Amino acid sequence: MTDRIIFVCTLLLAGVYFWATAQIPSLELGDPLGPKAFPRILGIGLLVSAAMLFMEILRKSKKPKDGTAAAWRWEPHQWVVVAISVWTALYILTFEPLGFMISTTVYLLALFAYFNRGRWLMNVLTSVLFSVIGYFAFTKLLGVNLARGILPF
Amino acid sequence: METFTHILNGFSVAMQPINLWYTFLGVFMGTIIGVLPGIGPSAGIALLIPITYGMNPTSALIMMAGIYYGAKYGGSTTAILIRTPGEAASVMTSIDGYEMAKKGRAGAALAVSAIGSFIAGTIGVVGLTLFAVPLTSIALKFGPAEYFTLMLFAMTAVSTLTGNSPAKGVLATVFGLVIATIGIDLQSGQARYTMGIPEFQDGVGFVVVVVGLFAMAEVFRGLEDIFRGTAPPAMKITGKLWLTREEWRRSIGPIWRGGLIGFVIGVLPGAGGTIASIMSYTTEKRLSRHPEEFGHGAIEGVAGPEAANNSDTAGALVPLLTLGVPGGGATAVLLGAFIMYGVQPGPLLFQTRPDLVWGLINSMYIGNIMLVILNLPLIGLFVRLLYIPQGILFPLIVAISAIGAYAINGSTVDLWLILFFGIVGYVFGKVDIPVAPLVLSLVLGGIMEQSFRQAMTISGGDVKIFYGSTITVILLAMSVISVALPFIIPRLRALGSSGDPS
Repeated sequence: MTDRIIFVCTLLLAGVYFWATAQIPSLELGDPLGPKAFPRILGIGLLVSAAMLFMEILRKSKKPKDGTAAAWRWEPHQWVVVAISVWTALYILTFEPLGFMISTTVYLLALFAYFNRGRWLMNVLTSVLFSVIGYFAFTKLLGVNLARGILPF
Repeated sequence: METFTHILNGFSVAMQPINLWYTFLGVFMGTIIGVLPGIGPSAGIALLIPITYGMNPTSALIMMAGIYYGAKYGGSTTAILIRTPGEAASVMTSIDGYEMAKKGRAGAALAVSAIGSFIAGTIGVVGLTLFAVPLTSIALKFGPAEYFTLMLFAMTAVSTLTGNSPAKGVLATVFGLVIATIGIDLQSGQARYTMGIPEFQDGVGFVVVVVGLFAMAEVFRGLEDIFRGTAPPAMKITGKLWLTREEWRRSIGPIWRGGLIGFVIGVLPGAGGTIASIMSYTTEKRLSRHPEEFGHGAIEGVAGPEAANNSDTAGALVPLLTLGVPGGGATAVLLGAFIMYGVQPGPLLFQTRPDLVWGLINSMYIGNIMLVILNLPLIGLFVRLLYIPQGILFPLIVAISAIGAYAINGSTVDLWLILFFGIVGYVFGKVDIPVAPLVLSLVLGGIMEQSFRQAMTISGGDVKIFYGSTITVILLAMSVISVALPFIIPRLRALGSSGDPS
């Protein structure tokens, strides 16, 4: 089942890619191939991989035991991955408005509180120290720009 | 003779205090990265690129190479003590290494992997030194058509040899090439597939893709394991950190054989450390007079694979340095680092920057000596990293990745890309699509398109140029063979014995 979904996604990707390639305006100047030729070959490459996948699906359906990897099924615990993704998206959204130090401290503290439950002192210290030391080490010592946000330094 | 002077001169470069310091820093970080589950050498190197920006390229590359080969040493520690390979290629070590640890022989297992890694790592660097010069003289004759077919060979080999399904490998490769076409086309100045996002005009940086696919995806998997309560507990080091005479006698053969297997496999594109260590494991099991011990704590099963995956790293640098074309995911990231520093590896680099090339190669002898010290007398220090609660470690990896990614352009677009490719990497892992081919083709994509168009310009649009010379014909034939291999190997295996390691 998984492989069939990948097969359909590959065809969709190939379709979108061919369409987007056709949108590129061409200026045939000196360059005999232009910016579209290589992408067209890649689009064909996507179709080739879809065809190979189709053959693998056929072969596996003849010999059901042949598959080395079990098909992926959705399991309830995978909601945790969705939750972490959403939390990380919130972190990115607040990264510039609030600044690195505040957003990172909050982001880490919540994850620590859940995945390293009960050890409050360790969790608070690690999240605060990492954000503060990380910020100053990178901005002041290495001269790397990190978002300052609402704090004055 | 001139080469010989260059090699000697390389030693003086490698011995400069500043470069000794960066070698140490590299192998030290490499060991940490190897020990820690969740962040591998690819993500480690990628994250360092923005931070070391503006450094002297020789020192920066010496440090990154140190991370690359140092991670293999550290990976075995994790494999032995918690049965999770800290680095993908240590997967075979985790079988017998963990069994030895359970029997109270963790010390011996750690000692044999450090010593084996050192011997094999040094064999690998000697091999690299010997092979580099003859290969560059061939590579000097390469034109755009030869380069195009060479890259084609590297990609077909990687896509069909990593993972279980050649179709998914090809899909990952083409997907990487598709991502590489995003951004302004250098030849026509035309923006392609930018989706109206101004940051995409410079293309999708490989750093964020690598960090997403390797670090962020690993964070998802790690936190998922904690959530389910399946994270493995760490064993303590037991037994003396040395080998008995008997153990040493049993290990020396596997170390030599593993070192040679690893180097040869490393030079070939596609296969990489994991396959090298599996091959060494099966070889030792076949040669052994007591194959029944394998899987229950046979020291040969640790010595051979560990040796193989360490000399593999030096072997993998051969095509990267001499041809400028990497044969796997981690070396592709190294190539990305080279390019970021404005250094194009390949035959010309041996002529224009012999100090850099030989300084880098010779620093690996020193790095290996440092690594055996870090991983034997000082191993206790690194083992403590395994006792860091994983619930602390994984979130920190996200924050470190955020610093590294934001440092490149100061834009949150790069953070979104990390999250996106983290999810892609997690899903790909679940549905068994390999990510190494994607990274390789993403890094090579731009160069590949350029050489394709240059070749077509030279030939006036005639595709004959791609099968017009002996070299291109050989490379095309090898590409075809590498596509056919996955269909031939299972039949050969069916003919052979049932000595499958898993």
